[in-house]
Amino acid sequence: MRISLRSALLAAAMLALAPAADSQSPAHAQAQQRPLVWGDNLPASLDPHALFDVPSQFVLLNVYDGLYRYQGNPPELVPWLAERHTVSEDGLTWEFTLRAGAKFHDGSAITAEDVVYSFKRLLAMNRAPAAAFRPVLRPENITARDERTVRFVLSEPYAPFLAAIPLVAIVNPRAIQPHVRGDDWGAEWLAANDAGSGAYRINPETYRPRNQLDLERFADHFMGWSHNQRPIDSVRVRPVLETSTRVLALMRGEIDATDSYLPTDQVERVDRNPRTRVARDESMRVFILRMNNRRPPFDNLDARLCFAYAFNYQGFNEIILKGLVIRNAGPNPNNLWGNPPDLRPYNFDLNLARQHCDRARAAGAPLGREIEIHVQTELEQTVQAAQMFQADLRRVGVNLKIVPNTWAGITSSTTRAETTPDMWVHWVSTYFVDPENWIGQMYDSRFHGTWKASSWYRNERVDDLLTRARTSLDRAERERLYQEATRIVVAESPDIWVYNTVNLRGLSRRLQGYRFSPVGSGGELRSMWLEN
Amino acid sequence: MSAALARLLRDPVSALGLGIVLFAVVVAFFAPYLAPYPEDAYESHLLQRLRPPSAEFPFGTDNLGRDILSRVILGTRNALVVAVSVVVAAMAIGIPVGLVAGWRDNWVSDVLMRLTDVFLAVPQLILALALGQLMRPGIETAMVALALTYWPFFARTVFAETRRLRGALFVDALAGIGARPTRILLLHVLPNALPAVLVRATIGMGFTILTAAILGFLGVGAAPPSPDWGLAVAEARQHLPEAWWFPTFPGLAILLLVLGFNLLGDGLRDAADPRLRRSRR
Amino acid sequence: MARFVLRRILLALPALLGLVVLTFVLSRVIPGDPAATLAGDAATPAQIAEIRAQYGLDRPIWEQAIVHLRQVLTGDFGRSVFSGRPVVEEIAFRLPATLELTFAALLISTVLGVGLGLVAALDHNGPVDHLVRLLSVGGLAIASFWLAIMLQLVFSMELDWLPLRGRIDPTLGAPPDITGFLLLDTLLAGRLDLFWSALRHLVMPAVTLALPGLATIARFTRSGVLEALQKDYVLYARAAGYGRFRLAAIYVLRNAITVTVTQIGLLFGALISGAVAVEAVFDWPGLGTYAVQAILSSDYKALLAVTLVVGVVYAVVNVMVDVAQALIDPRVAEEMS
Repeated sequence: MRISLRSALLAAAMLALAPAADSQSPAHAQAQQRPLVWGDNLPASLDPHALFDVPSQFVLLNVYDGLYRYQGNPPELVPWLAERHTVSEDGLTWEFTLRAGAKFHDGSAITAEDVVYSFKRLLAMNRAPAAAFRPVLRPENITARDERTVRFVLSEPYAPFLAAIPLVAIVNPRAIQPHVRGDDWGAEWLAANDAGSGAYRINPETYRPRNQLDLERFADHFMGWSHNQRPIDSVRVRPVLETSTRVLALMRGEIDATDSYLPTDQVERVDRNPRTRVARDESMRVFILRMNNRRPPFDNLDARLCFAYAFNYQGFNEIILKGLVIRNAGPNPNNLWGNPPDLRPYNFDLNLARQHCDRARAAGAPLGREIEIHVQTELEQTVQAAQMFQADLRRVGVNLKIVPNTWAGITSSTTRAETTPDMWVHWVSTYFVDPENWIGQMYDSRFHGTWKASSWYRNERVDDLLTRARTSLDRAERERLYQEATRIVVAESPDIWVYNTVNLRGLSRRLQGYRFSPVGSGGELRSMWLEN
Repeated sequence: MSAALARLLRDPVSALGLGIVLFAVVVAFFAPYLAPYPEDAYESHLLQRLRPPSAEFPFGTDNLGRDILSRVILGTRNALVVAVSVVVAAMAIGIPVGLVAGWRDNWVSDVLMRLTDVFLAVPQLILALALGQLMRPGIETAMVALALTYWPFFARTVFAETRRLRGALFVDALAGIGARPTRILLLHVLPNALPAVLVRATIGMGFTILTAAILGFLGVGAAPPSPDWGLAVAEARQHLPEAWWFPTFPGLAILLLVLGFNLLGDGLRDAADPRLRRSRR
Repeated sequence: MARFVLRRILLALPALLGLVVLTFVLSRVIPGDPAATLAGDAATPAQIAEIRAQYGLDRPIWEQAIVHLRQVLTGDFGRSVFSGRPVVEEIAFRLPATLELTFAALLISTVLGVGLGLVAALDHNGPVDHLVRLLSVGGLAIASFWLAIMLQLVFSMELDWLPLRGRIDPTLGAPPDITGFLLLDTLLAGRLDLFWSALRHLVMPAVTLALPGLATIARFTRSGVLEALQKDYVLYARAAGYGRFRLAAIYVLRNAITVTVTQIGLLFGALISGAVAVEAVFDWPGLGTYAVQAILSSDYKALLAVTLVVGVVYAVVNVMVDVAQALIDPRVAEEMS
């Protein structure tokens, strides 16, 4: 209590002093604007083709541009570097027409050849963002028809192609080529430098990996700046590693923005502080407790149902997370299309759980063995969920053992069913906005061996439905197919779906124009300005 | 020996150390009976999260509504088990290495001491961190990692004592009457080296508790829902500064127990062998 | 003397070589498959295998070991599996931060440790002596990460005297980068505002880290001074009318230097270990946080390099300590050769 009072006084004092300071040097008022200090995590590499995780989206959205971009919430796909596209009847040939006059940071114009180079680089490097394109796109099938037209010919119809297009940053081959070493496509150089056209440019001099990144506004950005009267000229990205420290740094005014996963226990405090607030935005990020369906007892439907009924959804969502999440019944986020309107979530019912467990035991499912649940140690929520679940499962006679692990450790063990843990806890975030990103890649058995499909669920009917949904270009038909697949999957309870995330980002009150989109989690700086 | 004990008890500071350690042993032994809510080792009570200290919960409750006092009491057993196992395991490796390497000057001795140097070439925690991540993280792994990185200290101590004693008159005499080296080492050299080992072991206990707590704090030690003290401090960070009681009491428990071992070790050093009091080197 | 130095360096080499082998073995059994993480979300097992081949992770282990040894001997620690940048470069950014913190801690422990030890010795068996003794044992018993959190709680969150985290206030602009030691760089650049900010940021981490060393030095200074005060020539001088304090001041200096130098080698290991936890709490951008990040992301190249660099720094410090000791007291050199 005392803290917030003092902060209030401090803030009041600052408000009182601020005009005085300005009036002393009116000429410098513009130049002396305190820069924006962004406290969210930095990706390990600045190369937009090397990584694809939530932190790398920040670089992708601010330093680079794609052909299309997601804007708003619910996210809408808007033409970006491309001004339009066409697609052939069979869904194989896609042509994108580039906007005229767009420039890279070095002033050179963005041409169709540059787009071809970018996609070829992506496919050749074959790192994370390439995975969505590799199965359907070969490098020789990307061609420049003329200065402003790019043609992609897919090897099979792939409906989510357009949805995945914003993943790909268009890079400047003229900036990269002098730094290519062997067959690395300039990856070592681009990991710490800038070859983009985005609204902000990197200052490579002061860059320190994962620690310090300075961005300067690119005045010649092709979208112009008319939408923003007072854009922020200089942004300092200074990641604060530990969550609680990050919150305190925000409240003390050391940073202007936290990450977008503020612990729910901190929300009230950040809101109460006169110089900070919490932006709440429903996102598309589903929290899941995974079960390895290949491994007994989870090869037994009753055992899986027992677990589904033993999780205290209400207690976790409403009490531990203080109602700052939204119950999610299935694998797709609630606010995405493709969900059956009448889908009912499982609820917490220990009696039902006990009945299913007894039935599973009678069928010989080894529920007496110790079942391991792997958590991501650095993510407190995964640990809390597992601890709460452990206490409740004990009441139905199931012994859960919590194993601390890391994202890298778990995802590398999910390449084979034998090494995949009994259970593990994670989220599936928005990589692209299409049911393919969730149910498609999670429960189609063709993805077995990837972390998204790590429940090793197999149902031929579901495989068939998802394959058809993936190759059809008729949105209504896709919707119907996904609804049917979702019904089957939820009835078979291969995993435990808990909630859809409300992104919570702590912001200083001087930061204005924050616009959230599930892709990029609101990290797009173009629209922001600072109030003094 | 009894004279040494008497000397130890006469020193108030060492007596305090002994008292703390004995207290901890008693608490650890009877933990399930002493803890007001022994089921809070694994149970969670969502409706009473993060309550400040009160008559009902003298140390407050944690992020899952568990009684912190109970968990601190239950955690004593963990801390002592870790400390004793690690030190015993490190002794089991270090003492034989020290004896063998100290007895003769040959290539075996060289190899053993070089190996010891390799392990001493990196600070213990860094090595334990790497080792702890090697196998899957967990308290067992942390214990193995700590034992694997602590034995060189025993090897060094025993090595020095063996070197000192092997030139002693009585050892020469024993060798003269045909006693086998194993016999001389085990029955005559080792007992003489024991005071030094004992001091090293007592200090090692405190040190192990500290390092294990750091590993728990960094997430490569004890796993939830273990009432481990280091883990509790790590879990508490997210709830600061509101829930100040959450990290405070487990941290104080670490401080108290390690303090006990260090005071005792200090006293032992003075009591068992005043010669070791020689402070430099 | 030169022969002694050379000999001492040669003695350190086998240990470092052993360390290279040890860390390599460690890195190969570390869990987490970097190839799977790199390949990304929707990668098929075939794509993962392709990436594994690209990074040479599929070759026989002995072949990887030889490649690794050759690289390390030529100072090439490879590239971070994740950032694609040379690990050496990333470490070069971070080593100065850790060294600055460690040196500051060493300075604090020496100055305060010698002072407290001296005061305690002068009050032999008195209340101050007992207090210092309790303090010095307590200093070794306190968990650094816990103390760090408690200091943050009091001095930053409650009293608002000191910054919570980090090395410098980011709104003041990027600090000059000359040596990587911020206190030095800001002074060289004549930026007193930045210097002051860096100094304020350094206080809590350095004090936390200094405590165990402070305790050790205080203890050894105390017994050193006590020993010195018993010496015949000191007793003689005292009889001749020199005050106890003056005597202590004369002898303490020489004694303090010897004690500190002797202890630095041992303390340095403790400092580096402590730095991992302290850096984690204060968000200090040094080697410790880098190591923790490397572990979390299974970046084995980075972890390997950190362990080796720490080993090398540690070895260098220990050689320097031995040499310094030999300079102060030539008998040490004789004893060692």
